[in-house]
Amino acid sequence: MTDELGREAARESLKQVGEVAKRTRTMIAYRGGDVLFVVWGIIWAIGFTISQFAPRESQWAWLGLTPLGIVLTFVVLRRPPAVRAAGTDRLARRIGIMWGLLFVYVDLWLALLWPFLHPNGIAFWRHLTAVIFTAPMLAYVMMGLWLDNCMVWLGLGITALTVTGLLLLPGVFFLWLAAMGGGTLIATGLIIRRRWR
Amino acid sequence: MADLDLIIHQPMRLSIMAALMVLAPRAQMDFTSLRELLRATDGNLGAHLQKLEEAGYLAVKKTYVGRKPRTFLAPTGKGRRAFEEHVKALRAILGE
Repeated sequence: MTDELGREAARESLKQVGEVAKRTRTMIAYRGGDVLFVVWGIIWAIGFTISQFAPRESQWAWLGLTPLGIVLTFVVLRRPPAVRAAGTDRLARRIGIMWGLLFVYVDLWLALLWPFLHPNGIAFWRHLTAVIFTAPMLAYVMMGLWLDNCMVWLGLGITALTVTGLLLLPGVFFLWLAAMGGGTLIATGLIIRRRWR
Repeated sequence: MADLDLIIHQPMRLSIMAALMVLAPRAQMDFTSLRELLRATDGNLGAHLQKLEEAGYLAVKKTYVGRKPRTFLAPTGKGRRAFEEHVKALRAILGE
């Protein structure tokens, strides 16, 4: 049969093998991640838009949006994984513990420092928001170092956008976070989805 | 020179094997994920999986996760070797 198959057909077959292998790796790496990026991107966009235009009411909005995001995250993570293998469950559990520890770390230091902070004016809240929302970006970078470079660039990119907005666009900082932070997360989710579908 | 494998050469079966070859040893992929990945229908994918299973290239394990029945797939050692030989034969045609 080898003689009958032309070079063009062989080239096409090898191309097909390469493309399927690439899509498979992406699917395994990002199963459910695409939905989570879009969910958190929408939450960021809504929350920070409210923070920009109705700062006094925004704390109530975040009190509703954050638990909603956490619940949706658990719903998405309940989807069965595409691949089961020894070690996969342990890795997922360790990633979950890492995120839990990060939340505890940030909340603990906020609670300990709170008596010494002087929340006067919007500038304080801008800076505090930047600290809180770049913490998960650092976690993305750390995860990306082990799992996928895409997460490293996403974490660094959103951190850079946050700092840029904080320093250069203080008047529209929250709107900047809604558009650039939320938009980047949504775009990342859509790109991931397109890459393997 | 390696020979092309007639069973693997069919485009859908080539895609199935290419996807499963990505798996680490002893890992398994579930049927639904493979179907979404290859944009195939249940019937079409099932027929090709059966051919590969009959050739001894694929191990199929049906189990329950909770109360839901699920099918997991993995290439066998024979399947991995056959796929690698097939790819070698394709490369040989191109003079690689």
